[in-house]
Amino acid sequence: MKAVNAVTTSWPGLRVDRPTFSAVAESELDAVHRYLLFLTGNRTVAEDLTGETFEKAFRIWRRFDPRRGSPRAWLCGIARTTALDHFRSEERRRRREERYTRDLPDTEESALGPGELETALGRLSAAEREVVALRVLLELDGPTAARVLGISTTACSTRLSRALKRLEEMMRDARN
Amino acid sequence: MPATDVDFEREFEELVRDLRALPTAAPTSVREHVRALGEPARPRTLHDLLLTFSSRRSLLVLAPVCVLALVSAAVIHGVVNSGGDSRQTAVAVHKADAQVQLGAPGGEGTATTPWRAVTGAPVAPSLPTPASGRYQDYEASLTVRVKNVDALHDRTAEATRLARTYGGYVASVDESTSGGSGRSDLVLRIPVNRVEDAYFRLAQLGTVTEQHLSIRDLDQVVGTQRRRIVQLKVQIARIGETLKSSSLPADVRLRLELQRDAAKQELAQVTGSNKATLREASLSRISLTLTSQQAAAATKGGMSRIERAARDAGSFLAGAGAVLLFVLIVLSPLIVLAMAWILGTRAYRRREERRLLSAA
Repeated sequence: MKAVNAVTTSWPGLRVDRPTFSAVAESELDAVHRYLLFLTGNRTVAEDLTGETFEKAFRIWRRFDPRRGSPRAWLCGIARTTALDHFRSEERRRRREERYTRDLPDTEESALGPGELETALGRLSAAEREVVALRVLLELDGPTAARVLGISTTACSTRLSRALKRLEEMMRDARN
Repeated sequence: MPATDVDFEREFEELVRDLRALPTAAPTSVREHVRALGEPARPRTLHDLLLTFSSRRSLLVLAPVCVLALVSAAVIHGVVNSGGDSRQTAVAVHKADAQVQLGAPGGEGTATTPWRAVTGAPVAPSLPTPASGRYQDYEASLTVRVKNVDALHDRTAEATRLARTYGGYVASVDESTSGGSGRSDLVLRIPVNRVEDAYFRLAQLGTVTEQHLSIRDLDQVVGTQRRRIVQLKVQIARIGETLKSSSLPADVRLRLELQRDAAKQELAQVTGSNKATLREASLSRISLTLTSQQAAAATKGGMSRIERAARDAGSFLAGAGAVLLFVLIVLSPLIVLAMAWILGTRAYRRREERRLLSAA
């Protein structure tokens, strides 16, 4: 992670160096976007949710406590909640408007990309994609990723292993 | 087998490399949008800081703080309640007051002066001197703790011997033992002029835990009796002189003889009462209770201040524990419901998340 500017809280006895929001946003923007891209499997949605995530983070930035975790993990938690809210609202919308198909995002060219790897990633479930994003792309350690996902460390490792094996098999099949 | 941090990097080396090479950077539009947010203007407030504490962390801090506060309160309660020797001071003041009253001249009627009543605490034996030249009903009670049942028996015999030594006698003895404890109740009659010495000797039989004195002034009673005796004697003598005359009619003679008989009867009665009163005034009554009960030693006054403080603190903690237990029992249905609600909500949220992610 890049070095970020820091400020110290004014409360005596609770002094802790906190990075500034703008510094964190600058350094973590790509990571959050990457995570949301993998989680949603859709570039357009990921971009929208990335913006929304940082807006939320901006509003509740005062609650961030660096002693409880890294800014990246904190932002990923917000991003995940934002994405789940999005899925929930999408589901309601789909239920209301039956004209829209469930696979609407897949028909868009901007899903993940045209390559073999992107296609294979698209076949994974969102849960598998998000664990790959957190562990492989964002390089969060097992316990931190598990905390973001709200599951145990073992479950997180199992899910990652299964996702990578499936991805590898799909890539092997695609090459053959 | 779950992949560890190192394992998956090695096992899926090529795949990991490809994944990291994917073009996933945020587009410029998003970056500019985020940059435009700037820096939150409002500084952190105490409320914001409190929000950063998780319930688990709060519990970890609050639980020891509550326990510490409770223990501190118990210690303070124990120390404050154990107090000093204020009771002894109060007793001494009471004693001084009593002595002043006893020394007052011309005690009218049958005033009763309770002198001291102390329970439990070992007290120094002391006794006001009987007022000389006055008739007084002098009653004292004394509770003395002895070591054990054997000592109880010996001290009872010694008290009996002491009563005889001082010219008195034992009015009653009631000695009983049960297991490791025993009790002996004696009523001793000691001449008033030697009661002080006898009292101190009796107090030395063990540890005095209670003493009480009651003095009733009998001067007026004796005076009234004596005056009545003189009146009756004079009356009888006059009637006798009148009856010597031979000119008295028969009915008058009979009436006078009846009056003389009644006066003689009353004289005998008043004289008997007077003798009894004088006997009462000449002999004091000392009720002595000897006890070997260990329970007496366990009373509050028998403890050191530290022991009392520890006991009071323990009582306070026990009381607080009982209250907490009561509250816990009363609130337990609500706690169970709250726990069920929390766990249910958490399970529902996770299932909902899984469903949403699988549908996404």
